[in-house]
Amino acid sequence: MSHPSAVRIFLKTIVARAWPRFVSTYRNRTWVVTETLLPLVGTISMIYVYRALHAPARYLGFVVLGGVLLAFWQNVIYSMATQFFWDRGAGNLELFAMAPTSLAAILLGMAFGGAYVSLTRAVTILLVASILFGVGYSAAGLLPALGVFVLTICALYCLGMLLASLFLFYQREAWQLADAMQEPIYFLSGFYFPIRSLGAIAGGLGSLIPLTLGLDAIRQLVLPGTPQFIPLRWEILAVVAQIAGYAILSQISLRYLERRAREDARLILRST
Amino acid sequence: MSAAIAQWRGFKAATRLGWEVSSNWTRPLIFVIYSVLRPLSGAFILVVMYRVISGGAPGTATYLAFLVSGVAFWSFVQYGFAGLANGMADDRGEYRMLKYVYTSPVHFYVYLLGRGLAQLAAAVASAAIVLVVATIALRLPIDPLRVNYPLLLAASFLAMLAVIAMAMAYGLLLLLARDSHGYGDLGASVLYVISGAIFPISVLPGILATVAALSPLVYWMELIRRSLLGSHTIRMFPALSDADVLLRLVIATVVTLIVAHLVFTWADRLARQRGLIDRESNW
Repeated sequence: MSHPSAVRIFLKTIVARAWPRFVSTYRNRTWVVTETLLPLVGTISMIYVYRALHAPARYLGFVVLGGVLLAFWQNVIYSMATQFFWDRGAGNLELFAMAPTSLAAILLGMAFGGAYVSLTRAVTILLVASILFGVGYSAAGLLPALGVFVLTICALYCLGMLLASLFLFYQREAWQLADAMQEPIYFLSGFYFPIRSLGAIAGGLGSLIPLTLGLDAIRQLVLPGTPQFIPLRWEILAVVAQIAGYAILSQISLRYLERRAREDARLILRST
Repeated sequence: MSAAIAQWRGFKAATRLGWEVSSNWTRPLIFVIYSVLRPLSGAFILVVMYRVISGGAPGTATYLAFLVSGVAFWSFVQYGFAGLANGMADDRGEYRMLKYVYTSPVHFYVYLLGRGLAQLAAAVASAAIVLVVATIALRLPIDPLRVNYPLLLAASFLAMLAVIAMAMAYGLLLLLARDSHGYGDLGASVLYVISGAIFPISVLPGILATVAALSPLVYWMELIRRSLLGSHTIRMFPALSDADVLLRLVIATVVTLIVAHLVFTWADRLARQRGLIDRESNW
């Protein structure tokens, strides 16, 4: 009997793991509501803060674009970083470990599926918030911004793969840690204000998260007048470097932590 | 053993259980650190937003105090409302123990009150740390010796009654759904918009502003700021005296309690009729 090649198994694993995410995009309607409305309502509340401060119109655009990427960040945290933690609790992780495939392929599948799910939520947030509050964007910058957006999402999900392996080592506090990666990251990444306002040190620290530089670059392209953190071309280069860096780091981390998890019997640990 | 002692024991057990579940049995210090990080960052986000617009102009402390006090005390709603509503769904779906609570001698209200109070314990720590850190870091005009504590405590007591009542009714309504994961947070987010926590409700469009004016949370926020900041506060209701605002809070709380009780009773009956108390929800 001939065996399928390793590449074929790798690719089929990606498709197999992405498929439930594609299906879940519309099947579980209660999740559609929360995944769309939670970031949307948060975005609206921040828009009203700027309105109360009589801020220029472009600041409303800052918030809307932040809300769009917020949907991706929440997906990365709750459906990528913590996923192996949940899988371990549900007893799936040990099945993944026994299957004749790699955890990297499973993570890539989750990333593709998760990015698609988040995209559907993000488009809704962008349209609803922009129409409700009359936010306009520079048409000339839309296409380049779309390119930067794709790069940013790639880098973000590579970071998500890295976090997923790290979360394997967390036990009961994993849920609290995931929660704690919400507002602190919104702050450091400048979701609701120009990242330049944080200064060089805090802004530089926040730039370790791909969303920070990606969001700033997108704002510079579609919202003229955005205070520049670093020049646009450097931001794009940094995001590209993050894609490669986080992809490599995630693979190294995954192999190391998977081995450690096997040694410490953490792959079968129930902590939920 | 008298009925009162049995209820008290049930209340104590529910409070302890609520704390353990909400902290997921993590070490208290780690739980508190995580609990404080979110509101502290939330406050700093608003501070930066304000500074970006005001440009560091003089006299900004008053508005910053308005923002920080709202965010700090919002922890009570976040934990009390979202935490309790989510907790009821978790008790049924994840821990599969809601049916045992129903069949125990403790009144369901007493159990939920205990479960909710445990959430508020984390909120107290969170609010206190945010206020202290922000007051020192931003030099806010909050003087601990000049705070109107009776007003602060009275307003917060009434508001917490309303929050727990709303959470009980909302949580029981969520039992009607097979999968209500995240709806507790969604409900809290909607309340955030109409509570006057981070902006005056006059900014909201007409209908939303009217709805907000019916909520006890708006008057609670107003009284928190008046009791903490005295004359330095930005008032959402400048024409009303402290007594007037307190009266409105009392009325809004009483109405909320009545409506919440009616909704709770209706949802409880429906849940029992449909056999939803022990429904499997695929955790």
